[in-house]
Amino acid sequence: MPQHKAARQRGAPFEPDVVIVGSGAGGGMAAYVLTRAGVKTLILEAGRDYDPATDSAMLKWNHEAPLRGAPTPDKDFGYYDATVNGGWSVPGEPYTSAPGSTFRWWRSRMLGGRTNHWGRHVPRFGPYDFKPHTRDGLGMDWPLSYEDMAPYYDRTERLVGVIGTNSGLENHPDSSPGVLLPSPKPRATELMIKAAANDLGIPCVPSRYAVLSRALPHPHAPREACFNASSCGRGCGIGAAFQTTTSLLPMAMGTGKLRITTNATVSRVVTDERGRAKGVEYFDKDGASHFVRARVVVLAASACDTAKILLNSRDGGLANSSGEVGRNLLDTTGTNITGHIPALENRPRYNEDGMDVAHVYIPFWLYKEQAAGKLDFPRGYHYELGGRFGMPGAGLPFGGMEDGYGLSLKEDARRYYGAQLSYTVRGEMIPNKDSFCELDPEVKDKYGMAVLRFHWKWSSHEIRQIAHGIKSAREMIHRLGGTVTTPELPPERAISDGGFIIHELGTTRMGDKPGNSVTDSFGKSWDIDNLVIADGSVFTSNAHKNPTLTILALAWRSMDHLVGRMRKGEV
Amino acid sequence: MTAEISRRVTLAWIAAASSSALATAGCESATPPAPPSVPPAAAPISLWQDLTLSPVQAPGYGHDPNLNKPVVPWPLTLDPQQREKLRIAADLMLPADAHSPSGGTLHLDAFVDEWVSAPYPQQQADRLLILSGLQWLDAESMHRFGLGFAQASDAQRRAIFDSVAFRKNVQPGTGRAAQFFARLRGLMLSGFYSLPEGIADIGYMGNKPSLGLYPGPTEEALAHLNASLTKLGLKTV
Repeated sequence: MPQHKAARQRGAPFEPDVVIVGSGAGGGMAAYVLTRAGVKTLILEAGRDYDPATDSAMLKWNHEAPLRGAPTPDKDFGYYDATVNGGWSVPGEPYTSAPGSTFRWWRSRMLGGRTNHWGRHVPRFGPYDFKPHTRDGLGMDWPLSYEDMAPYYDRTERLVGVIGTNSGLENHPDSSPGVLLPSPKPRATELMIKAAANDLGIPCVPSRYAVLSRALPHPHAPREACFNASSCGRGCGIGAAFQTTTSLLPMAMGTGKLRITTNATVSRVVTDERGRAKGVEYFDKDGASHFVRARVVVLAASACDTAKILLNSRDGGLANSSGEVGRNLLDTTGTNITGHIPALENRPRYNEDGMDVAHVYIPFWLYKEQAAGKLDFPRGYHYELGGRFGMPGAGLPFGGMEDGYGLSLKEDARRYYGAQLSYTVRGEMIPNKDSFCELDPEVKDKYGMAVLRFHWKWSSHEIRQIAHGIKSAREMIHRLGGTVTTPELPPERAISDGGFIIHELGTTRMGDKPGNSVTDSFGKSWDIDNLVIADGSVFTSNAHKNPTLTILALAWRSMDHLVGRMRKGEV
Repeated sequence: MTAEISRRVTLAWIAAASSSALATAGCESATPPAPPSVPPAAAPISLWQDLTLSPVQAPGYGHDPNLNKPVVPWPLTLDPQQREKLRIAADLMLPADAHSPSGGTLHLDAFVDEWVSAPYPQQQADRLLILSGLQWLDAESMHRFGLGFAQASDAQRRAIFDSVAFRKNVQPGTGRAAQFFARLRGLMLSGFYSLPEGIADIGYMGNKPSLGLYPGPTEEALAHLNASLTKLGLKTV
């Protein structure tokens, strides 16, 4: 082990009250709440500094990029994707899958983490979602309720900026009046999807995305309204699409209470002789080890990296008297059904970029049937919808309909461009004993730390849910006179690999007592009073609703609680 | 059919053609005896042969390239003959019309070269398929017309394309060649329609910032949508 060196900042020494590991959704929100309360805070970020205003490639054309912007192992989501030094692999930081398991782990190594490229889809969890065991006897209830979360959802949505409309649907909670920003109009393709869905009794409503439809002024983090161009996944240089690098982090810096150290990969939480956290150890990019002392340690490294840090902190894992660290690993189920729609061939051209994100979506609509025992799967799923005149690049924009060559091929291109619809299933997974991560007994990363080994298995719940999602999507495509172009696979083959939807959660779940969980409802470790977890690892369940809004709202709630404890001198 | 036999067949035809001995001869006349391990009367003899290629060793652009100053760091690797065949194929694949120039004019040969010279697994798999396919075009052309693909007439080249280009009409025994053609078509479509000329042709109108809330479809697009919905018996908007 290299010698510890005192972490140095330029200028006066900075002795933080709280050290936060990670600068993504959880870490960014933690820094925002703590610094507003006057708490001296240090963020350690494993990746490099990143500023989307200069680093993102908004408005660049695909023909300017190598391979027309195609995905490669260097840039898994394409050349212009915002992700820095990451993707399905991170150089020098491998992971392994146990025999018979397939798990894929998306990481980035950049300030702001994965908030720089995420999908920005932010539905709220509803009342059923926090009490899943009460509803169907599976999994475990959260130690909090929707009523506990509602005020934090409201204030998070105000801070983040969310387009959407209150639709009044069962278990899809409305926001308080005045919280949501105006929605853009749907595209022609989306109006068509909605017409067919509604005809089949399926709702299709304005979607909620963390993208601004009007400017959000702030002295330290002014954000512009979306200018209706460029993919959000490239990173948003004007701050319209939410990411911590243009919002929470500069807001927190503006208080004068925050320092950020980049290229600082935390390896473990260091404890004192009484077993309390006294700080963290990290490696800089040259591989030198440093120690940072703090009153409180907040972990927000992402579900799997937080588990990795705890498991590496001591034999058997730190904060692990329950044995639950690394267990209950969750992702979202996924599959994609595309259709070719003859009615969309040769349709009139207009600019269909819009806010890049889908302007409508299909929320889960069968809660009543499920409660009545009419479905063969528990929990819900939703569809994220696609189909537009998109920017041509390396991917074929013609849905595989093109044939032959010559002048007729050019006619094919014009006819089939923008004539495909896609229905992307995103569904809830229930925790199971076969899906978890642990330390690999042999493989080490470039810092000498044990890497994660993943175990993964979908249960029949998820398989049957995916089967239902495929069936319903096919019905909607057929209702439009379309042909399904996705090869028909059995659901156990159509379902995505574990980790592929990039919603890893649950590895330090919260619960109502120490025996069944790693933290309480405020992310506070049951075992270590001054260790708080503020990322997706604390999720007790993974509703089908994309997790980032809930990560942000939970982190806010947990930090309010921490500030209260610090003010009372409890930590 | 093994690659070994196809290679021998190909070489034999090329040798025969270059000595002007081959005019319209069928396969059998130029086929050397098959090795004893292969049953006689196999499927129709294919001219396809997967090349043996050494992997491209050039560097990729890495995990953190400058997105605003993109560069292709790997060298192009195709020889002038391969580039010429690609340029000819691009002109046939996407010929000039009233809407846009031809694929060769837009240098799709250079794009395919960039693609198959890249050091990534997908591109390396495509390299094998595309380069083997370019050789197959010559072998096929030689077999049918006694001329290399670059020397054949457009009508002769089209006759070759016709045997593999249409999904419903792929000639028996040309599976790998049809796969090559579909891949080449896919690459050329991507390369073509992502260029400004292709974008103008296909009618992509985005990547233009605008202020205010996105307004949705134009009147014309809405009228088209409503006509479609009516035909489908769905509620109009």
